[in-house]
Amino acid sequence: MASMSQRLKPSWRNHAIASHLLIFHLVMASTLLPSLTSAIPSFSSTMHNNNWAVLVCTSRFWFNYRHMANTLSLYRTVKRLGIPDERIILMLADDMACNSRNTYPAQVFNNENHQLNLYGDNVEVDYRGYEVTVENLLRVLTGRHESAVPRSKRLLSDEGSHILLYMTGHGGDEFLKFQDSEELQSHDLADAVKQMKEKHRFKELLIMVDTCQAATLFSQLQSPGVLAIGSSKKGENSYSHHLDSDIGVSVVDRFTFYTLAFFEKLNMYSNASLGSLFHSYNPNLLMSTAFYRMDLYQRPLDEVPVTNFFGSVMKTIHTDSPYRVVSSQPKAKESIFLADDKVKEIDKRNIKEKRCSFHLWMEFLQKKLVEKDDSHIIVMYGFGSMILLLIVSTWLSA
Amino acid sequence: MEEQKPRAARKSRLIVRLGSFLVSHSAFVSVICCVAGCIALLLLPVLAKNTYVSENALMPGSANPMFSNQDVLEANRFVKDIYEKRILKDGSGMEIARLIGKHMKDVGAEVYYHKFKYHNLRFHPLCFFSSTPRTAVLQNSSACILNGVSPVGIIRAPRGDGKESVVLVTPYNSENIKLNEALSLGLAYSVFSLLSRVVWLAKDIVWLAADSRYGEYTSVASWLKDYHNPVFSSDYGKIGIDMCFEKTENHVEDESSFDGAAYDDFKRAGTMAAALVVKVMDKERSERDRVDIYAEASNGQMPNLDLINIVHYLAVHRQGLHVRVGTFGFLLNSALLKHVGKTLQRLTRLAESLNPGWKLGVNSADFVEGTATLASSMYYQALGVPTGPHGAFRDFQIDAITMELTPRTSLTNNNGISSFLLRGGRLIEGVIRSVNNLLEKFHQSFFLYFLTAPNKFVSVGVYMIAFALLVAPLPIVAAALFSSTANARSSTAISNSKPTNSKPVTRSGSWNWLHSAKLVFLVHLWALIVSLLPYLISQVPHTNSTTSMLSWSLSSLLILYLLTRLTKSYVEGYQWEVLKSVMIAAASIGLSLMSIINFSTAQVGSILLVPMCLMVRPLKQPVQASFFLAALLKILNILLAVVAFPPASLAILKGCLRGFESINIGDFWEWSEFLWVWNSATYLFVALVHLPCWYLCVHILLHN
Repeated sequence: MASMSQRLKPSWRNHAIASHLLIFHLVMASTLLPSLTSAIPSFSSTMHNNNWAVLVCTSRFWFNYRHMANTLSLYRTVKRLGIPDERIILMLADDMACNSRNTYPAQVFNNENHQLNLYGDNVEVDYRGYEVTVENLLRVLTGRHESAVPRSKRLLSDEGSHILLYMTGHGGDEFLKFQDSEELQSHDLADAVKQMKEKHRFKELLIMVDTCQAATLFSQLQSPGVLAIGSSKKGENSYSHHLDSDIGVSVVDRFTFYTLAFFEKLNMYSNASLGSLFHSYNPNLLMSTAFYRMDLYQRPLDEVPVTNFFGSVMKTIHTDSPYRVVSSQPKAKESIFLADDKVKEIDKRNIKEKRCSFHLWMEFLQKKLVEKDDSHIIVMYGFGSMILLLIVSTWLSA
Repeated sequence: MEEQKPRAARKSRLIVRLGSFLVSHSAFVSVICCVAGCIALLLLPVLAKNTYVSENALMPGSANPMFSNQDVLEANRFVKDIYEKRILKDGSGMEIARLIGKHMKDVGAEVYYHKFKYHNLRFHPLCFFSSTPRTAVLQNSSACILNGVSPVGIIRAPRGDGKESVVLVTPYNSENIKLNEALSLGLAYSVFSLLSRVVWLAKDIVWLAADSRYGEYTSVASWLKDYHNPVFSSDYGKIGIDMCFEKTENHVEDESSFDGAAYDDFKRAGTMAAALVVKVMDKERSERDRVDIYAEASNGQMPNLDLINIVHYLAVHRQGLHVRVGTFGFLLNSALLKHVGKTLQRLTRLAESLNPGWKLGVNSADFVEGTATLASSMYYQALGVPTGPHGAFRDFQIDAITMELTPRTSLTNNNGISSFLLRGGRLIEGVIRSVNNLLEKFHQSFFLYFLTAPNKFVSVGVYMIAFALLVAPLPIVAAALFSSTANARSSTAISNSKPTNSKPVTRSGSWNWLHSAKLVFLVHLWALIVSLLPYLISQVPHTNSTTSMLSWSLSSLLILYLLTRLTKSYVEGYQWEVLKSVMIAAASIGLSLMSIINFSTAQVGSILLVPMCLMVRPLKQPVQASFFLAALLKILNILLAVVAFPPASLAILKGCLRGFESINIGDFWEWSEFLWVWNSATYLFVALVHLPCWYLCVHILLHN
């Protein structure tokens, strides 16, 4: 469930001290009230309440090392930004780390400086080798598995899920090649996404594709809530970024390289928006034009944090009493009917928040801080007492 | 009747009407096609494309070479060791083999010694085209059997599956080792020892130091044959390597330290992805260190173009070497070619001035060079004899080339040789690393091509146009001749047969070609016998090439005489037109078949055969044309009949290249011997297609 709660009211964001306080607030919330946060019921069916990532490398063979490195880099990034392993479906068509041509056995790098081994501990590959097929990808997306398939290989998303689908490999006009033997066509992808929508398997879906002519893969998409970004337009190639002359192969593609460069500056508390990610692509550096398909997506990109998809950061709703299951159930039903009426919903939430004693205390603290000018004094006293506390504790432990 | 005919014509299909149109204008069509074919052949150097590495997996030059000066020092030390062994008079060959084996063992390779028996190359008419090479015939006869020993080392890929390998071959003469051979051994050794240390191997590396005492090809071919034909019988190990050593070096005392049995097992390393034959040469020097690439294998087979591409790419763009492929030097100075080149250059300039969009860019010098290289490429493919030990690999469908490395300095110049070894080592390492990246085998690029420069090629799709144009008139002319004689006969039959029943006449008319076919069949039978005669003649001891040639030609004539006498009544009553048409049909079938076996042979053969077949007509037959044209036709006919006689054409070719004093009666015998011992299909073509066709042409020329 949500690991943290975050509030992004505009008036708060502007205030520097307030943002400091926010972190303080977060830490307090997560440490003092673990039982409260973990027990929040998913009362709202349309709220964003979990994150999934499906990362696919579709090509085999040693010379496609960079595709595996791309996917593993993305894997590392989304994991770093907070999506747990159990919610990442990682599909790797070949095992470059154990390829006998690899100069660094059991290691995969995405940069020639060899600083970061992407294939270290805790890499959980869900589909590997010849399991990476179009059929399996479509099964994962649509959730039509055979009964024997373990849960770890399934995309167990729901209507509140934000899903990141990242694919890399060799593609062409309206297709993406899988394994040198089959293709995923834009129709297949669109159909799978449509089925997912009908089966309430996602709230929002971000499809990111790094192949040649990636934009053509999105041409058939129709389902609302889908955002798509590709590395190149129709007729353009996507190029690799650089060659590692030690390993003897190209280790990363340009689009992915610059995506990673964007994310390297961020941590899971960052507020960078999808819009800023999309505008960070420089066609001269990419040697292709990044393509975005936004017409199916309702929210303005500048207000959607990237961590909504690449991390696991979401709004968390606090209820004043977590155990009022009986009373919350009709509300959940009600909220389905009011799904599109967001104002009412927010009002309701505010009422709920006010009822919570913790929130009342917080409100009081906040009022004191914001409305009066001597806020800095309080902060100073706060720090002073913390230092005192620290000294006392070290003295005690020594 | 008048109305039905056009309707019938309208009803017939387009292709039939087109065919009948071509047949009715056969003379015009054949002239146009022949001229166009010759022009297309001449334009091939212009149509050549730049080569490119087609297989993605190869990635030549993407990794930094690891071959360093340290390895060069190691190579120099090894060369010194080997070269010192030369002084040992007796058994120096064994000593060198043992030294190489010891060094192989020291770098951690699996070592064994491959022993092979040398057989004289002989003509085996029944073994023609069989998969087993000549040396494979293991007979118990002790005649002309000698032993050669080649040390073989195998590096197992540390994390590979051991199912694939890359082969490195360095031929050396164990009895009389030269400095250049020692250098090539040293170079291979240093690369081999480097490869034993690297972690990126996916294919095993086999280094065969081939004992070339009896020829480079023989030792490589016999090793390959043993590699691919495992022997399971228990008596195989009887002649162990230790016996070999005992025989040759009784004076060596440290026999105990050498455990022969351990080196007897024939070890294998999976299927071969590619093979490189590396030789250091001490030939004409140029400004830069140079690589000569030899690729032609038996019967015009070529290795995959990608192998040549990666060698060329790495040599030129990474190591700064000069790359050459086979070229006919005498064509470079040919005034005629230069003239043609200049004309072409002028024509293309004119075309470009008319339409700047056309970028033909023909350069006269490039054209001459391209033609010389193309001619050499075509000649060696047509000959069907491998140009080096790499040919043995192609018999097993393994892509292989010979790289002859020539330093720019003399072989004794230490500095020059060190930098040369560094470049050469890096080149070989790069090629092996590139092939190592390959999955399974080369398959992506061309197998059928001519080279016009080290980085330019003419693919099959382009060069077959010339051949197709040359061969296309043959069936058309055959059909035209046949239909014209059939028409003539039926018209005469109709005019003559009014009082009698017309049926028997027309039947004899329509089956008339059988008489000619009988003659053609007889001549082909004769040619078959002639082609087998060398087997008998070569069995006769103490003959030289002249006597063999004379006995061959005399016996051929005798057989021809006997055959014609025996079947005199059998083959009578044919018309020369029908005979010509059947002969042309047979020739076109022969040429088409040959184009599948060895395209270049068919191409070269068609240049001689097609004009001769098309133009031939009895000398005594009057021609309905101007006196000048008739005389020209007759002269051309006689000229072609002389030139196209295989021994005559060989003599003319030799005379042009080496002066007419060098011509000898035995030349043709030597040449055929050369072809048949190498199992070249060119021999079959000359004997079974060219010779009967030439005889029939002469027969028609002398027809009454």
